Amino acid sequence: MPGAAPVSVVRVPTLGRWVFLLVPLLVLPVPFLVNRYIQYVLNLILVYVLVGVGFNIVIGNLGQLAFANVALFGLGAYASGILVVHAGWPWWTTIVPAGLIGALAGILASLPALRRIRLFYLAIMTMAFGELLRWIYIRAEPLTNGSMGLAVPPPVLLGLRLSSDRSKFYVFLVLVVVVVLLTSSLLRSRFGRAFMAIRDNELAAAAMGIPTDRYFVLAFAWSGFVVGVAGAMYTALVGHVTPEAFNLLELILHFAVVMVGGLASLAGSVIGAIVLTTTPELFRSFPGVQELVLSFVIIGVLLFLPRGLVSLLARRWSVFHERYYRE
Amino acid sequence: MLAQLVVSGIAQGVLYALVALSMTMLYRATTVVNFGHGDLVMGGAFAVYVFVVYLRLPYLAGALIALAVLFGVGVAIHQGLMRRIMTGPHLAIAMMALAVGYALRGGARMLWGREVLPFPRIFPDRAWAIGDVVVTSDNVIVSGTVLGLMVVLLVLFNVTRIGRLLQAVFQSQRGAALIGLNVDGVHRLVWGAAAALAALGGVLLAPITLLYPDMGVWVLVRGFAAMTLGGFGSLPGAVLGGLILGVMELVLGAYLSTAFIDISAYVIVIAVLLLRPDGLFGRQVVVRV
Repeated sequence: MPGAAPVSVVRVPTLGRWVFLLVPLLVLPVPFLVNRYIQYVLNLILVYVLVGVGFNIVIGNLGQLAFANVALFGLGAYASGILVVHAGWPWWTTIVPAGLIGALAGILASLPALRRIRLFYLAIMTMAFGELLRWIYIRAEPLTNGSMGLAVPPPVLLGLRLSSDRSKFYVFLVLVVVVVLLTSSLLRSRFGRAFMAIRDNELAAAAMGIPTDRYFVLAFAWSGFVVGVAGAMYTALVGHVTPEAFNLLELILHFAVVMVGGLASLAGSVIGAIVLTTTPELFRSFPGVQELVLSFVIIGVLLFLPRGLVSLLARRWSVFHERYYRE
Repeated sequence: MLAQLVVSGIAQGVLYALVALSMTMLYRATTVVNFGHGDLVMGGAFAVYVFVVYLRLPYLAGALIALAVLFGVGVAIHQGLMRRIMTGPHLAIAMMALAVGYALRGGARMLWGREVLPFPRIFPDRAWAIGDVVVTSDNVIVSGTVLGLMVVLLVLFNVTRIGRLLQAVFQSQRGAALIGLNVDGVHRLVWGAAAALAALGGVLLAPITLLYPDMGVWVLVRGFAAMTLGGFGSLPGAVLGGLILGVMELVLGAYLSTAFIDISAYVIVIAVLLLRPDGLFGRQVVVRV
């Protein structure tokens, strides 16, 4: 926004790095208090935290209408599954490759943006990317087992079989903490500030000497890495990867995680993941009602808390104020 | 062979054109891209199903009431939801549109579950051969209705007072407000009209295809693709984009592989946008600073 005060002038108390360790420490004993089903939902929440964090970089921080997130998620999931099933790799060695495949796909998705394709044009191109991939998952039967889906054996970590959801929870928790910490560092650095400069005014950012193309590629690549890792976690959790898991409905869910939680807010992505994973689970046995409740939640948040549920926390504790989001 | 593909493609494409045209009208008047538009098509189909199958009204009467109902739904979406967040970011508006569509789908699923509803056959079941091209009565009725409607819209748009009011708002919302035009009233009208036009797609589709709550996704994707293809915001572009898409889908499916029918819309859009980032008939987007 022209004329807005430079961000560095305003000193708002920030969430200290300690929360990234404190919150995970607090949830450590939780798996011993819940049953298997709730444990599964908790694991799913951890997957969607990374889904939301990754998506938020591109739509919240970089401010682009880019909807390739399900494509990135699916590629991560299939990359991990294919490496485990066909190449015989242990699951833990597929986490980084899944992230890298996601990052590559992210870079690919940023190419139209470099051709100055923006807004709704970018939206349909990135959506088309995801649908093309889904078509490929169905056709590439030797690798993906087509629409039947790829059955993946329980994950293995350093020779240990993670067959229980409880053991997966701890592995996922470590992954989420590491990736969120790295993302937080990226967003606080000059790179992250450049993303937000581009979001607020791309022309002004370029005029200030920010190489906008490079930052577009970087933001999409890191977003792809994060979501690709989430894909590998999804494969480990569900053990069965199908093309239908990555359709346009899944995209609405990803989008809602970010919008309900709060744009450009890491804490928001966590809250969004919690709300949007548990709500459908609560109404799983009522077809129709599930969709209605979910859409009422989204509509309610958009109408009454346009900055997402995280703004409820921000009202009480100023540390939750999103320093980087202004309208 | 090619002639037959073109004829069938146009019959398919008029529906895409109808959806794309109504989305474009809405976009031009309100700057909202309605990602829930496909579900309004579904809403129209289910509404006409209720009136014709449950209430045993004649098809024409049922169709008109369905259009009126969906007009009301469109106005309600604007009044109750969209109007309140219009000043917000694009992303919030896109999310709202998706959520509304999702709610409509949920409502249909709650009432009818996962079953697929067959609609009684209404249109006469006939076909004519012109040379080696076969034209069915479905083709004629659907294309005739849509093309006739487009002519009517074209006249309304250029001749009547409301048409000129719409044109003013299409050109500049702020300018129209400054000279005292009722922009909010136009928004309300256009939301209603766009929803009713989408519903017309559903009303015409209902006797031809099966009805199910997710039927809108397929139409939305094609409508959106047609709109992009024609150049976002161009009314004739949306119609031409829809027709081109309908024909290309069948041609690619016939000459390459039927497997391509599912994704040819996407392939065409990606190819066109990479070559011409503003669509086939679009103008360069002005950058706001």
